[in-house]
Amino acid sequence: MRTVFHYIERDTFVHRLHPMVKLLHILLTLGLIVVPYWPTLRDLAALLVWLGLNAVLGTVARLSLRQFGFLAKILLGTFLFILLTQGFMYRGETPLIILGHLAIGGGVDLVITREGLFFGIILCMRMLTAVSALPLFVSTTPVSSIMAVLTSLRLPPTFSFMFVSALSFTSMIFEMWSTILDAQRLRAFDIESMNVFRRLSRAYVPVLTPLVLMLFRKGNDLQIALEAKGFGAPGPRTQLEVLRFTWRDGLAAAGLVGVFVLCLWIKYA
Amino acid sequence: MAEPVVRLRDLTFTYDPDVVALQDLYLDLHPGDILAVFGANGAGKSTLCYLLSGIIPNIYGGTRMGEVRVFGEDPWEHPIHHSARNRAIVLQDPETQLFMPTLEMELAFGPANFGVPREEIRERLGWALKTVGLGGLDRRNPKALSGGQKQRAALASALTILPGLLILDEPTSQLDPLGSTEVLEALKEVVAGRDLTTVITTHKVSEMEGLANQALVLHRGRVALQGTLEEVISQVDRLEEVGVQAPPLRQFFHLVLPGPESNSSDLEGAAGRVRELVDGGRLEVVAPVGTARRAPARPAAPLLQVEEVTYAYPGNPPVTALRDVSLKVAESEFLAILGQNGSGKTTLVKCMVGLLKPRQGRIVFRGEPIARMSVGQIATRIGMVLQNPDYQLFSVSSEAEIRFGLDNLGLDPREAGERTGEALRLLGLEEHRGVFPFRLSFGDRRKLAVAATVAMGPQVLILDEPTTAQDYRGRYLLADIARDLREREGRTIIMISHDMDLVARYAERVVLMLDGRIILDGPPEEVFDQVEVLARTYLKPPDPALLGRMLDDLGVPRGTLTPEQLASIFRPGTGVA
Repeated sequence: MRTVFHYIERDTFVHRLHPMVKLLHILLTLGLIVVPYWPTLRDLAALLVWLGLNAVLGTVARLSLRQFGFLAKILLGTFLFILLTQGFMYRGETPLIILGHLAIGGGVDLVITREGLFFGIILCMRMLTAVSALPLFVSTTPVSSIMAVLTSLRLPPTFSFMFVSALSFTSMIFEMWSTILDAQRLRAFDIESMNVFRRLSRAYVPVLTPLVLMLFRKGNDLQIALEAKGFGAPGPRTQLEVLRFTWRDGLAAAGLVGVFVLCLWIKYA
Repeated sequence: MAEPVVRLRDLTFTYDPDVVALQDLYLDLHPGDILAVFGANGAGKSTLCYLLSGIIPNIYGGTRMGEVRVFGEDPWEHPIHHSARNRAIVLQDPETQLFMPTLEMELAFGPANFGVPREEIRERLGWALKTVGLGGLDRRNPKALSGGQKQRAALASALTILPGLLILDEPTSQLDPLGSTEVLEALKEVVAGRDLTTVITTHKVSEMEGLANQALVLHRGRVALQGTLEEVISQVDRLEEVGVQAPPLRQFFHLVLPGPESNSSDLEGAAGRVRELVDGGRLEVVAPVGTARRAPARPAAPLLQVEEVTYAYPGNPPVTALRDVSLKVAESEFLAILGQNGSGKTTLVKCMVGLLKPRQGRIVFRGEPIARMSVGQIATRIGMVLQNPDYQLFSVSSEAEIRFGLDNLGLDPREAGERTGEALRLLGLEEHRGVFPFRLSFGDRRKLAVAATVAMGPQVLILDEPTTAQDYRGRYLLADIARDLREREGRTIIMISHDMDLVARYAERVVLMLDGRIILDGPPEEVFDQVEVLARTYLKPPDPALLGRMLDDLGVPRGTLTPEQLASIFRPGTGVA
């Protein structure tokens, strides 16, 4: 999880792109998945084109799939859930798999329809498209550049700092979580060997108690460290990093918009 | 004389509702003054730092009586970002002070908040990094630095504000000896030749020699001693009374010749002084060579065996933390493991308790490999208390905390109740039976973590860094408990520590690790005699051991590890005035 939200230092075309171009990529990705859609092959094709673009950008940025193993695990579970629920719930006409009949009320057929399954696939693809865009921004852009671009968008420094702190706290939470689990094993409490229900009923409260209390303490220390360095002082704040938009960035932005228009054409033409 | 940088008059500060933290304090600090503040935990050291930095009253509230002036201003009349323009504070825990993704951003954070021009920030950044010895690391993520580097980075980020007053609250308390040395060297470089007023709180009195020119000892918020550093640290008895440990060589001189004499704390000076006293007939060497050595430990059956263990943390490339390590720990042994951070100490004990599983080699407890044991089986044989107790407390009361592990073992309620009562009694926590663990003091939280571990009945008890962030008396608390458990119940103790004094006093065997290997293994007298080998691991034997070596020719035996042992070699001579 940590590597998903961490900058990975490399010298690639994607890393060198102006963060504004990468923000544009995220906005276009969101745009593509929120525009009205129908579960058609055209819609699927448009998503595949954009996913292909993300795969190319990921390859150019030399991001390996292994880095996203944790995220992939979560997504796989979610996708399975979506495919099953949509398969059963979507009011389709073409039965694909008939599992049986439940004599509840007037009777319910347990049928996975082709339309339901396809709708589920489209939903999963949209989710995957959205999720795949985030590491392309976070893993290829130094936080200093992210802060600089957020500031250039005239967002208040507090907002930029909240973003940076969130990244820092994410890794801290994972380290603390792991230490607490170790401490519990030392007291014969093995959360990892428990099933989901036992974890929910018995395991998480003892983990969360020290975690939450220590996070409050760390948050308090962070406040002291920030304010003792003049955070919130009146007057303009100096931006250390100066970002320059080059012709390459312009071309990349135009290319992104071009692929976006292509996807819209595939969807609606 | 110009107005002092810090001026406190009859200052009393009370945290709401009624916790008096400082009382009747008077203090003047002028440009270039370096004040060392000593005191046990809860003496008021941090409160003083917060007052001077403006954290009180801007973040922590309370009631003040008397006068506080820093650069002629009352902190109660200004927001903290105003105070932050001319004073900076470095806190105990380097982790929470470094919040930016690169050192460059970290150091620029303060001046950037005040709108300092970009070019000037870059100049300050380069200067500060160079001053603390981190030049060239400006693009490095602070989280990837070692403990000493992190604290130096925190110091550098304070310097970029160009403060006139620098406040350091126990800057070395969470560092290993190498990290402490790095930070103190950096600090000497920072203050050298500058009119920077500095306030440093610490438990380690000897670190302040050659650095501070003034000293203040606080005891329960009141001034116990105040004056020049020399005046203060020569008061060995008074320091002891208020829970502050005088430097070991001062203790030695105080033991052999009690009185208000000024004696050197540095080794060369101390050796010269002893020779002078012996030559003048004021001291005589009484113990023949070899008497300081302890009797060799009785041979005992191996209880825990580490057999050719290699462990590598996954990564690209993997990081090998243990390389073919073998070790036999006997029944009822008190073993100390020494080494710098990253030497493999913690990895080794984590393998012993099954938290890490070695790819090569095995760990055997009474002939049975622990790899075949369940989590519960291991916990009843080998217990481990972590460095920070707060990760080990999960329950709503002290009693429930101890029951937590016992319930996981599936003990019947009657037996679990008996064991809980016994553990609370053993650790002196009976009156806190119903108290929420996080409301206990740090020392009591540590005791509770030990109680919860001991209640599970392990034959081996492992203590990971029991002295971190502890004052003089707190440092010995867990080691005393462990020694009691060993002597009364025959339990085996394994202690990881950087504290040479603690190891010298308690351990009967010392293992020294470097780069994932054991490089020395033997009684403390023998290990601490290997000065050159220890130096490779940036460790130094206790000062009394080094002084004893320097006085070889006087007939002082090797292996005098504590001030008391060294003092027992001498007696007052006929030349005493």
